[in-house]
Amino acid sequence: MGGTSRLVRAVSAVVLAAALGALAACGSSGSGSQGSGTGTVKMVLWPGPEGDAMAKVVSAYNAGQGKTDKIHIDMTLLSRSDTFSKEATLMATKSSEFDVYFTASYLVAQHAPYLQPLQGLDASRYFPSAVQSLQVEGKQYALPLDISNNFLYYRTDLINKLRTDPTWQASYARISQQLVGQSLTPKDPADWTWNDFIATAAFFTKKENPQSPTTYGTALQAKNLLFNTMIWDDVLWSFGGGWLDSSGKPALDSTAAHQAMQVYNTIYTKALTSPDSSQAEFPETQAAMTSGNAAMAIQWSAGYADLNNPTKSPTTAGKVGVAPVPGDKHQTHVHALAVAINNYGKNRSAAQKWISYLETPQAMTLYAKSGGIPAQPGVLSSLTSVNPVYTFIARDLSADGFSEPALPKTYDIYSALAQDLSGAWVGQQSIDAALKKADSDLGTLAAQKSGNK
Amino acid sequence: MPRNHTRGARWILSAPLLVFVAVAVIYPIVYGVRTALQNRTLLDPDASWAGAANFLTTVKDSGFWHAVWFTILFTAIVTCVELVLGFCLALLVDKYFPGKKPLLSALILPIMIAPALMGVMFRLLLNENIGAVPALLHDAGIHITLFSNGAVVPLLIVLDIVQWTPFTFLLFYAGLQALPRDTYEAAAVDGAGFARTVRSVVLPMMAPVVFITGFLRAIDAFRTFDVIYVLTGGGPGDQTTTMSIYIYKLFATGNFGTASAAAVLAALIVLPLVPVVTRRAVGGTTAEAAR
Repeated sequence: MGGTSRLVRAVSAVVLAAALGALAACGSSGSGSQGSGTGTVKMVLWPGPEGDAMAKVVSAYNAGQGKTDKIHIDMTLLSRSDTFSKEATLMATKSSEFDVYFTASYLVAQHAPYLQPLQGLDASRYFPSAVQSLQVEGKQYALPLDISNNFLYYRTDLINKLRTDPTWQASYARISQQLVGQSLTPKDPADWTWNDFIATAAFFTKKENPQSPTTYGTALQAKNLLFNTMIWDDVLWSFGGGWLDSSGKPALDSTAAHQAMQVYNTIYTKALTSPDSSQAEFPETQAAMTSGNAAMAIQWSAGYADLNNPTKSPTTAGKVGVAPVPGDKHQTHVHALAVAINNYGKNRSAAQKWISYLETPQAMTLYAKSGGIPAQPGVLSSLTSVNPVYTFIARDLSADGFSEPALPKTYDIYSALAQDLSGAWVGQQSIDAALKKADSDLGTLAAQKSGNK
Repeated sequence: MPRNHTRGARWILSAPLLVFVAVAVIYPIVYGVRTALQNRTLLDPDASWAGAANFLTTVKDSGFWHAVWFTILFTAIVTCVELVLGFCLALLVDKYFPGKKPLLSALILPIMIAPALMGVMFRLLLNENIGAVPALLHDAGIHITLFSNGAVVPLLIVLDIVQWTPFTFLLFYAGLQALPRDTYEAAAVDGAGFARTVRSVVLPMMAPVVFITGFLRAIDAFRTFDVIYVLTGGGPGDQTTTMSIYIYKLFATGNFGTASAAAVLAALIVLPLVPVVTRRAVGGTTAEAAR
C-alpha cells in the first residue's frame, strides 16, 4: 500500500510539474542582457516584394559582411495578412523568439513598448517623413525599410487620344457636363482635380460612353480594409481635411470629409467602377488594369512594376502613365515598413549591428534591385533604370507626401475608419451617418494613450 | 488495499487525459476569462484589473450585436441547406451504381481544402476581371458581378454550401450504409414507396446522425472566419462581419481584453446548446446500444 501511495505521489508530482512546465512555456520570457553581439539573429518579415527583396539582402550579408561580424541572419516570413497579429501575440507575451520585428509607421506607436530605441541612425539618408513616422515621443524605434505611397496610374494610349481627338473631346465635354455639371476639356493628368478624374472615369465607362474601349473608367479600392482608408485619406487631405483639427479634436464630420466621401460615392453609385469594387483592394485593382477593363486607378507604388511588365501585363506594359493623386492639392499618404529590435530579444547587440548594415546604401541598393522600394532618395535616384516609378517617388514624396498622426492607436483608427466608412463609399449607408460614427470612433481612439514609456 | 490500488491506478491511467485537459482546455479558458476581466492591450505590457468593463464595452457596441445577428442568420441558413442537400445526395449515392467510387471522391474533395485556401481560390475564380466563373457566365450571356452589394451575402452562403455540403453528405452516407438492409426489404414488402420508406424508416433511424451532423455544422458555421475574411474582410461596412471576424479584428488591433470578453460572450451564446446535444447524442447512442 505504501509503495502504491508513493507511486501515486510520484506520478502526481511528475504530472503537476509537466503541467506547470507547459503553462510556464506559454508565458513570457525576460528581456535579459544585450547578448554577445555575435551568433544568430532571428528576424520576422512578411512575404511578397519586401520579403523577396530582403531574402537577397540576407543571403548577401550571411555570405559576406555577416562572416566578418560573426552574425548569421535567420529570416522567417509569416503570412502577409497575419504577420502583425502573430507579432502582437509574441509581444503581448514578451517573447524572445525573434530579435528583430517587422513594423510600420501605422503600428510603431503600438509596438514601441516592446521595442528597443535605435542608436545612431543617419537620418539624412532617408525621406524625412519616413524617419519621422517611426518616432514615438522623440525616440527612433525602427529603421525605414520600404516606402509606400499612392499614384494615379493611367493608360497613356487612351489619355493621349482623349487629349488630341476632337470627337472624343466633344463626347468628354458632354459627359462631364452630365456627371459633374461642368463642360470640361481633357487635361494633363498631373493637373487633374477630382472633377477631371470623375469626368475621365465616366468617359471611359461603357455605360456612360458606349464607344469607350474599357468597361470601366477606374477601379476603386473600397473593401473594408485599413489600407483602403489610407487611399481615401489622399482624397480627404486633397480637400484640405485631415483626421484631427489644429486643436487635436476629431475632424471627420467636416466639409472636406463630406467632399471626399462624395467622390467615392459618386464613382461607385454611378458605376464608373465595377460593382465588385466594394470588395476590391490591391490585387483586384491590378487585375482591373492588366485585363484592360479599367483605364486608370489610384494604386500603390508597388503596383507599377507589374503593370509595366510585358510578360505579366501585355495590355498595359509600356503604356502606364504616372501622375500625382488628383485634387486641388495633390496629396499622397506615405508609410514606411520598417524593422526594429525586440526589447525582449536575446541577441539585441547583434541585432543592432544587422540594423546598422541595413542602413547602408550598399544594402539598400541590393534591396531595391531585388524589387523593394527603399526609403532612401539617393538610392532611388540612382536606380531609375531598374524601376521607372522610383523617379516619381524620389520627385513627389517630399512635395505631396503626408503621414497621418502617429497616435498610439493609429492602426486601430485606420481599421475603424474602414469599418465605418466603407459602407458609405459604396452607397450602402448614408454619408452623414458614416462620418458621424467615424468621427466619434476617431475621438475615442485618438484620446487613448500609451501605458508605457 | 485493493480499493487503494484501484484508486491509484485510476489516477495513473487518467493522468495523460488530465494533463491534456488542464493544458488544452482549462488553462485557455481560465486565461481567456482572466484576460476578459483585464485592461490588456498592446499599448501597455502590464495588464490591470478592469472588472466587467470589457463586457460592457462589447454589449454596448452595435457592431457586436450586428455580428451576432449575421452569424446566427448565416449559421441557420447554411446548416439547414447543407443538411437537406447532404441527406439528398447521400440517398442518391447510397445504392451501388457504376462510377460510384470516383463520384464519392469528387464529392468529398471540397472538405479536403483548407478554408483559407478555398477563400483565396474563390477570390481568383470569381474575380470579375480574371476569374473563370464570371468569364463562363459572360460567355453564356449572363452579366453578374458576384461581389456587388446585393450579391455578396448570397454568394458567401452559396460558397459555404459548396464547401461544406460534402461534409454532411459524408456523415449521412456513412449512417445510411450502417442501416440494416432488412428494414428496407420489410418496408418494401409492406408496400412502402421510396418517399414513405425515407419518411417512416430511414429518417427515424438516422435521427441521431442528423442531430449530430446538424450540431457539428452549426458550431462550425457559427465560427466561420476564413473564407469570409479573405473575400470581404467583413464588409462593406460590417455587412458580412461574423462573430469570429469581430473578435479577430479586436485582437489584431491589440485590444486583448475586449477581444477576450467578446469571445467569452460568443461561447456563452452557444453554451446552452451543448448539454442538449450531448444528451440527445448520448441518449441516442445508449438507446441504440440497448436495442
